Amino acid sequence: MIYLDNAATSFPKPEAVYRELDRFARTSLANPGRAGHRMAMAAEKTLDDVRHALNQFFRGDAPERWAFTLNCTDALNMAIKGVLNDGDHVVLTDLEHNSISRPIRALEKAGRITATRVVSRDGYVAAEDVAAAITPKTRLVAMTHASNVLGTVQPIEAIARAVRASGALLLIDAAQSAGVVPIDLKATPIDFLALPGHKGLYGPTGTGALYAGPRADDVIRAWREGGTGGDSSSELQPSLRPYFLEAGSPNVLGVAGLGRGIAWVAERGPDALRKHEVELLQQVVDWADRSEGWRVAGLWDPERHAGALSLFTPEGISPQELAGILDVSFDIAVRPGLHCAPYIHRNLGSFPDGLLRLSPSPFTTADDVAQCLEALTAITAGVM
Amino acid sequence: MAAPASTTAPDPLDRYSRQVRFPALGEDGQRALMNSRVTLCGCGALGTVLANHLARAGVGHLRIIDRDFIETHNLQRQILFDERDVADNLPKAEAAARKLRLINSTIEVEPVVTDLDHTNALDLMGDADLILDGTDNFETRYLINDAAVKLNKPWIFGGVIGSEGQTMTILPGETPCLRCVIETAPPPGMTPTCETAGVLGPAVAVIASFEAVEAIKLLAGKKEALNRDLIMVDLWDWTFRQLKVSGLFGRVDCPCCKHRKFDWLEGEAGSHTTALCGRNAVQVASRRPEPLKFPEMADRLKALGDVRHNAFMLRFATEGYEFTVFPDGRAIIKGTNDIAKAKTLYAQFVGA
Repeated sequence: MIYLDNAATSFPKPEAVYRELDRFARTSLANPGRAGHRMAMAAEKTLDDVRHALNQFFRGDAPERWAFTLNCTDALNMAIKGVLNDGDHVVLTDLEHNSISRPIRALEKAGRITATRVVSRDGYVAAEDVAAAITPKTRLVAMTHASNVLGTVQPIEAIARAVRASGALLLIDAAQSAGVVPIDLKATPIDFLALPGHKGLYGPTGTGALYAGPRADDVIRAWREGGTGGDSSSELQPSLRPYFLEAGSPNVLGVAGLGRGIAWVAERGPDALRKHEVELLQQVVDWADRSEGWRVAGLWDPERHAGALSLFTPEGISPQELAGILDVSFDIAVRPGLHCAPYIHRNLGSFPDGLLRLSPSPFTTADDVAQCLEALTAITAGVM
Repeated sequence: MAAPASTTAPDPLDRYSRQVRFPALGEDGQRALMNSRVTLCGCGALGTVLANHLARAGVGHLRIIDRDFIETHNLQRQILFDERDVADNLPKAEAAARKLRLINSTIEVEPVVTDLDHTNALDLMGDADLILDGTDNFETRYLINDAAVKLNKPWIFGGVIGSEGQTMTILPGETPCLRCVIETAPPPGMTPTCETAGVLGPAVAVIASFEAVEAIKLLAGKKEALNRDLIMVDLWDWTFRQLKVSGLFGRVDCPCCKHRKFDWLEGEAGSHTTALCGRNAVQVASRRPEPLKFPEMADRLKALGDVRHNAFMLRFATEGYEFTVFPDGRAIIKGTNDIAKAKTLYAQFVGA
């Protein structure tokens, strides 16, 4: 199989991740808890080690600022529902995945908040446009770092400075960028960083994290409440970080695997990994340029691109049909449709049928991509 | 002043006098019918004939399950419906219930507009004395078979295509079950359906009438009179065959009635998973992919609409729906957002 759906979840994972998942499951899979027994403490230490790894990798303020989540959606909900109050205003963009746009739209429809959706051009949001959308009531700017449809990387450094100057909080959805585009929390004033563990950080599904910076300390509410493994006598959720946000048994097995994934990425560096993916996508762009009916969605700028790209498909065949044929007849996995991001498809004119998305990984070869493109050529040559 | 009610109340058996006089049924049989409950799965051609017979015969409680709405091309053979029902856009179960209540106001008719599946089958059949097959696909028949064997309730299988039909009465623990006789359903795309091969109304009525008589015997407590074989008839060629399957009972290594593996009821074998894709389109995927033969499929479908195929896909357009079928049996059906409707269309045109 040729797997070009890494924007959904990365596959395969590095060998070290598989080995650690097996080892940990066989030897250390206790429910983490302070005190208790040795295995529980070892499991707790694993969580702690990976918190440190995340904090170092993204240069955060402190390890306890990282809460493990089920996925990036969980982390985004935790931040959005943790800080918004009635009457607040939120700024988001038309690039957002439903994991940001749905919780915000639901609050908006309930009449509790107002929201402004900044419009992107060619897949990019301008920092000035975000700044212009901020009002005195703006509590939160929530936006993606890299579009999951187009792969376009947004200028979050400039945006972060503008948001910080306004006093609003900034939530960045790093679903497509964590591990691929460098993020430096010391250099960039981001209040919340939400990320999945199972995409560019190569952990298993069921992992994610939310970084909550110091400015969120007094304002964030725990979206999930329950057991934290310590301070059980307290009637309410204990305020101690990171447990405050982590109620319920954590996916410690997944986190153990995620730790190895982060180490694997750190060893190679996001720049090198991104470069490989962008070179593969350049193959696609060049092919699309010379192929009748095919067109890359958004502006192709290899310097500002993550490892995903979407294509307009020729007349007479839909992205769904192409993906079906690639799968059934060629054993190639890609993702058609709206990619849970309807607003950008409306902007691009690709709503409702969507686009065909290709997303390689460091394990993808130039030959894999060439095979996919040959298959697309063959399929469209025979369009009925 | 009102007349004393007790002297004028009619005997509830009066309306059934002509069948009560039939000695093999008798008054005890009629009373048993009136106290019985039937779950009828599917209210199309077979289902309307079955429901008509059983309501008139006085079956006390009829639960009718069907998720579809009436269309004009149903009227050729689905005897409880008329043009006004089409105009009113009524669900089949509801329209049937209204008609049946006019026919016999003394019985209870319970329409259930839903897709019968593994999540609701036991609930809908659990209180029935008998389950009747008025479906149009093997998928649902295996589900009924699983539920009936698990619940230890009798059911009657019936199926018709063209001028041919089959029926068999299944008494769990006494006769072979459907999987003893036909272990697995044919792969999708390989079998004719009423949509592709057509169907004659009288042929359906014959099979449904066979089923109905068996139902009356069973519900009236006259089990000794049941037919325990597989009956196959062709009304056009005028052939009638009785396949001696009763001898298979207990001798087949049946996954269902011997090993009690209820693959369809547990949702393991239900062959189709579905997902919405894009606007107004549903993907139906076979859980047991088998290579389809596009040229043969195209031959079957060409009379019904525009059909084209190449090595990668078969496209077929009919009745406002567009099918893109892939060689492993997966299909994208455009023209509906309704997953249950897409499954019905798949069963009708691709087959199951």
